[in-house]
Amino acid sequence: MTSNTTARDTAQGTDERLHAAGLHAPASAVLSVRDLNVRFNTENGVVHAVRGVDFDVMPGKTLGIVGESGSGKSVTSMAIMGLLPPTAEITGSVRLQGKELLGLSDKAMCRHRGSDLAMVFQDPLSSLTPVYTVGTQIIEALTVHNPTMSKQAKEARAVELLGLVGIPSPKDRLKAFPHEFSGGMRQRVMIAIAIANNPRVLIADEPTTALDVTIQAQVLEVLHAAQEETGAAVVMITHDLGVVAGMADDIMVMYAGRPVETGSVDDIYYSPRMPYTMGLLGAVPRVDVAEKSSLVPIDGIPPNLTQPPTGCSFAPRCPLASEACLDGEPDLRAVAPGTGHRAACIKSEALADVDVHTVFAVPDVPVSRFDSLPRHERKTVLELRDVRKHFPLMKGALIKRRIGTVKAVDGLSFDIREGECFSIVGESGCGKTTTLLEIMEFHKDQDGEVVIGGLSNKQAADAKAKSSMRKELQMVFQDPTGALDPRFTVYEVLAEPMENLGMPKAAIRKRIMELMELVGLQADHVNRFPNQFSGGQRQRIGIARALAVNPRLVVLDEPVSALDVSVQAGVINLLDKLRAELGLSYLMVAHDLSVVRHISNRVAVMYLGKIVEIGDVDAVFDNPRHPYTRALLSAIPVPDPELERTRERIILQGDLPSPLEAPAGCNFATRCPVFAALPPARQEKCLTLEPALEASATDQQFACFYPDGELDADMVVVHENH
Amino acid sequence: MTNLNTIDPAAVLDEGKFGDDEVVIGKSRIILRRFLRNRTAVAGLAIFLALTLFSFIGGFFGNWDKETIDPFNIGMPPSAEHPLGTSQAGIDLYALTVEGTRVSILIGVVVGLVSVLIAAVYGCTMAFFGRKVDKVMLFILEALIMMPALLVVAVATSGGANGLKNTVPSWLLLIIVLLVFSWMGTARLIRSLSLSLMQRDFVKASQYMGIPPHRIVWRHLVPNIGSLLVLEVTRGVTGAILAEVAFSFIGIGIKVPDVSLGVLIGQSTSQVSTFPWMFWAPLIVMFLLTGSLAMMNDGLRDAFDPSSSSVGRAKRSKATGNATGSATGKKQKKIK
Amino acid sequence: MLRYLAKRALTYVFMIFLTTSAGYLLAVSTLQPALLEQERIPRPTPEQVVNSFRLKGLDPTLNPWERYVDWLTGILTRWDWGRSPNGAFINAEFGDRVWISTRLFLASIILTLVIGVALGVFTAARQYKASDRAITSYSYLMYIVPAPIAYFLVQLGAININESVGERVFFVTGISTPGLDGDGWAQFVDMLAHYAVPTFAITIVGWGAYQIAQRQYLLDNVNADFVRTARAKGLTRNQAISRHALRVSFIPVAQSIAFTIPAIFAGGFFAEKIFAWHGVGSWSIDSIALQDVNAATATLAYGSVIFAVGAILADFATTLVDPRVRVQ
Repeated sequence: MTSNTTARDTAQGTDERLHAAGLHAPASAVLSVRDLNVRFNTENGVVHAVRGVDFDVMPGKTLGIVGESGSGKSVTSMAIMGLLPPTAEITGSVRLQGKELLGLSDKAMCRHRGSDLAMVFQDPLSSLTPVYTVGTQIIEALTVHNPTMSKQAKEARAVELLGLVGIPSPKDRLKAFPHEFSGGMRQRVMIAIAIANNPRVLIADEPTTALDVTIQAQVLEVLHAAQEETGAAVVMITHDLGVVAGMADDIMVMYAGRPVETGSVDDIYYSPRMPYTMGLLGAVPRVDVAEKSSLVPIDGIPPNLTQPPTGCSFAPRCPLASEACLDGEPDLRAVAPGTGHRAACIKSEALADVDVHTVFAVPDVPVSRFDSLPRHERKTVLELRDVRKHFPLMKGALIKRRIGTVKAVDGLSFDIREGECFSIVGESGCGKTTTLLEIMEFHKDQDGEVVIGGLSNKQAADAKAKSSMRKELQMVFQDPTGALDPRFTVYEVLAEPMENLGMPKAAIRKRIMELMELVGLQADHVNRFPNQFSGGQRQRIGIARALAVNPRLVVLDEPVSALDVSVQAGVINLLDKLRAELGLSYLMVAHDLSVVRHISNRVAVMYLGKIVEIGDVDAVFDNPRHPYTRALLSAIPVPDPELERTRERIILQGDLPSPLEAPAGCNFATRCPVFAALPPARQEKCLTLEPALEASATDQQFACFYPDGELDADMVVVHENH
Repeated sequence: MTNLNTIDPAAVLDEGKFGDDEVVIGKSRIILRRFLRNRTAVAGLAIFLALTLFSFIGGFFGNWDKETIDPFNIGMPPSAEHPLGTSQAGIDLYALTVEGTRVSILIGVVVGLVSVLIAAVYGCTMAFFGRKVDKVMLFILEALIMMPALLVVAVATSGGANGLKNTVPSWLLLIIVLLVFSWMGTARLIRSLSLSLMQRDFVKASQYMGIPPHRIVWRHLVPNIGSLLVLEVTRGVTGAILAEVAFSFIGIGIKVPDVSLGVLIGQSTSQVSTFPWMFWAPLIVMFLLTGSLAMMNDGLRDAFDPSSSSVGRAKRSKATGNATGSATGKKQKKIK
Repeated sequence: MLRYLAKRALTYVFMIFLTTSAGYLLAVSTLQPALLEQERIPRPTPEQVVNSFRLKGLDPTLNPWERYVDWLTGILTRWDWGRSPNGAFINAEFGDRVWISTRLFLASIILTLVIGVALGVFTAARQYKASDRAITSYSYLMYIVPAPIAYFLVQLGAININESVGERVFFVTGISTPGLDGDGWAQFVDMLAHYAVPTFAITIVGWGAYQIAQRQYLLDNVNADFVRTARAKGLTRNQAISRHALRVSFIPVAQSIAFTIPAIFAGGFFAEKIFAWHGVGSWSIDSIALQDVNAATATLAYGSVIFAVGAILADFATTLVDPRVRVQ
């Protein structure tokens, strides 16, 4: 317990400790952090959010800090920037080019912030001031550090910066306000602001988390270019092991406010020595692997940082934990002498060449009774025939007139068979959520036919038919917190659908106990309120509610996207198990293609309201035919550094066009890498004719005239091994 | 992204105190406990209840009633005989204050409760039906906001011979008029809150489960706007008491012979330097009333706030952090 | 944008028409000027009263609807808002009254806004310090004091000052000393002496709401992501707040300012009554006491118009300070 020692004592102690460990910062490091500790006074006690973080970043290199929410990674970055509230208590040392930053006044810190130390934040939508133009905001960053710079020079530099981060016609866009930019564009502006003064260190805190995969790929590319342009060291903070695999040179894994494993990217990914790192790597589904094995779930939740841990903070969740693990927190120790690979685990030596699946209790891959049955022999549970949803776009003050139509869903047909998981993927705005809503709506006046369990929306629209349809079909929502009424206990939440069907009280009670067990929750927790559960548990409650009335089809709307990686694995495994045991069918919408690949049997790729490719998930993912599918798949970072460094990736230009501007002919032509490479004579076809889904012998259909076509060189990026 | 791993510590604490017994723990009990922990709010509630009690039974402690003239004490300062003095007409001011307090509280409570009821029904209806109904109802609502309430109060309470004035007592008339003009703001608030609730996933989930609309409104919408309603009631009561005082003060609200705090204050203004007790006694009662309501409102808002910090006070120094932590723990055990 | 404002204006014109009509019908069916005439000495015969009223366009024998139609025709065709029972023309009276009200409130409104917003910023910057607690508590106190009583207390204080000084420093009622001769300076001092008390009273009662609103909105924005971005650029915390958070926090304040101008006007009834400035507010109350249907309706219409102007101003103010609304 150091809580009674004064700051000076701590500093001395730190120095001694570092000296003993030979850990003095290398002279060449541009940023070195030593024994960084951050404490917050909160209503519930002192939260020790960051506990002894050490790292060095060399010029031009990239450090990836990986951790789940609450691991202290963002607090670390804010402490380095000096942006924590004054109530936070920060000790340790942060040296930027040899100069100590901790303890500097706000004013003194301002000479570094934005000049040699810059940062890109997570949420681009709220990180720009809405009332100033982007030009003003970039120029402000220049003015602060270059008061003598002329107005023309600043403007010219701002245009140059916008061009550098890939904003088309930068000169005109200087006068645009942030709300006129999409999320991806705003993140580019943020990067432009950050690199305006050629920083030595650039900290990026989850820079792509709020963005679509295609946009994420673009922004990562821009970050890469920015780093090459400025030669800055980059600290990349993320929860996504894929994002840093290709970018980072070194990785630091954080858990409960402490680094638990550090090392080169290859060390961490290929020979992790800390059970938490191993679990994290095993919890992520791979988009590039067809072989099906269950994901590694990490049970439990991270510790409460208000209580100082007495043992290893991961021990309560660790399958290997023994008595010794509870005796004092293990330090980071070198795994092998002479390397920078260090792990905070007393058993790290024993973990060399151990398969993660044997460490963690990974369930077997569940097999459904339908899996052996050929698809055409199974019953159809849901069928969509030419479903359309067009919104009129109105304009005008007094008399509204229609200026166009937004074709959110445009002629969708597919079916789902028993025991099958069918997923719809695409960028946000492609119409996948609208599709779900159309199915849930189930109304006679819909454009197109929806057949659920043999019941068509066209013939059956009275209350009785609807209620029997509701029994067939239930939904699980994206945000587990929003989907549960905060004023209901779990019992009430689960009882609601059954009470509605008029089930007797005793039966409801029995069923609720069954459900709790089914989704892996303690039965005696039924009297708790949703806010007494963690996110993963809340999602389990949501799943239990959907299963309460024994539906045959469950609609999953981004069921795991709000959850942390380690928790996500448990929920995915649960969904897999339920599908097999109960013979359920799923209709899932997700933007994470790795999850889709892991859990689905069939997949449809949507673009601007239309399906561009559909078929068996392995067929589509291993051999994508449509250029959009190819781009989408190539945009997903894989947690495999070797592969990430060498593979070529397609970077689509621009954002998803507004459905209003959908061009005639193929609506992907504006961004298509194949189209761009075609000679004009062959382009003509794409611009005039609309490609239809072509039937084929295998279970894979696509809507493209030139499948597997040559890709435009400008849109393909291969990183030379750096 | 919000941190989904965090569990509301307040909720866990509250739950922990009960242990895992079979009884379903009502949110209302948690709220009540949070409210009771807030000293200001409890003091406010106590003062308000005391005043209400005083207005009903206070009459028994005085020797005079509000109609009897004491010919020997006209316009006299407080004395043993008349604890608050007498008015220029020689009526015991204590009796008048008791009566006035009762009328003011009556007006406040009736207007506060009924206007929130109207607002809740109106606001929920707008939000639930939407489209055309919403538009028309919003128009009516805005038109009513536009009407200067004071003028209508004045017209209604000073009508001529056939006016309502002669058939209904002026306090009832004032209640009606205040009601007509007091619910619009709340209705708008409830409408927007219900609209956002309707967008929430748990309402959608119920819809997709086939739960009928009236049940959704009753089980999901109403409880979730419940805290707002309670807050609006305390605010409405305060507002109505203030409005009564203001209107009566300039002579257009309650009319003599009816008595209210506003009438008492208003009547005494002309001779405030000669008969100060006539002015200050009812004024202090009014401040006690509105002040106690404001304190209650504050405490309730805190208790309803799910992110409320009333579990324990923030600790400034880390050295004392653990000590205080255990102290709060003990305190909470005691509360149990 | 212009089209949008025009549409809003049109809606409000319709609303004003409805409220005014409703007000007229209510007034005409409850107010009975004839009863007051009966109290005159010598007491006129009912026929005389009817005759005299008929000449002024206030025929009590017609039913409310017929009088409404007459009244409306007068306004629509001749912009004639009718006459009072004492024969005065509403149109003539109206201008004077509006001018007096405007003079009373203009200075107070400006002071209220400036002081309220400035104090809001000041207290937000010193959150939880003694000065913040004192000022914010004062503002909350103003919520539980009825405006007329606060005015009255200020008036009382001014009288006390006068008495203790022993000479008339402040005038607590009236707009100017009647028949005052003298040069411009004497006139100016007289004006100040009359304005000081009511302006002071209205201002100290009014600023509380703005202080609380500005403080709250600014605090909401102090920890916003974009302020963090500004600090990450190299601005100090105070610079970031004053250049970024303040500007954004002003969006809702600007809207509420425009919207509460009519509320100050409504509070004006009380101020005019207590400080005996014969503006629109006190006119409306007096006219009701005198059972004057036309004057009461005219003041009601004025109130509605002020409200509509406030609402449209609020829209306009929002578009002025918020670029997100500008592009519609």
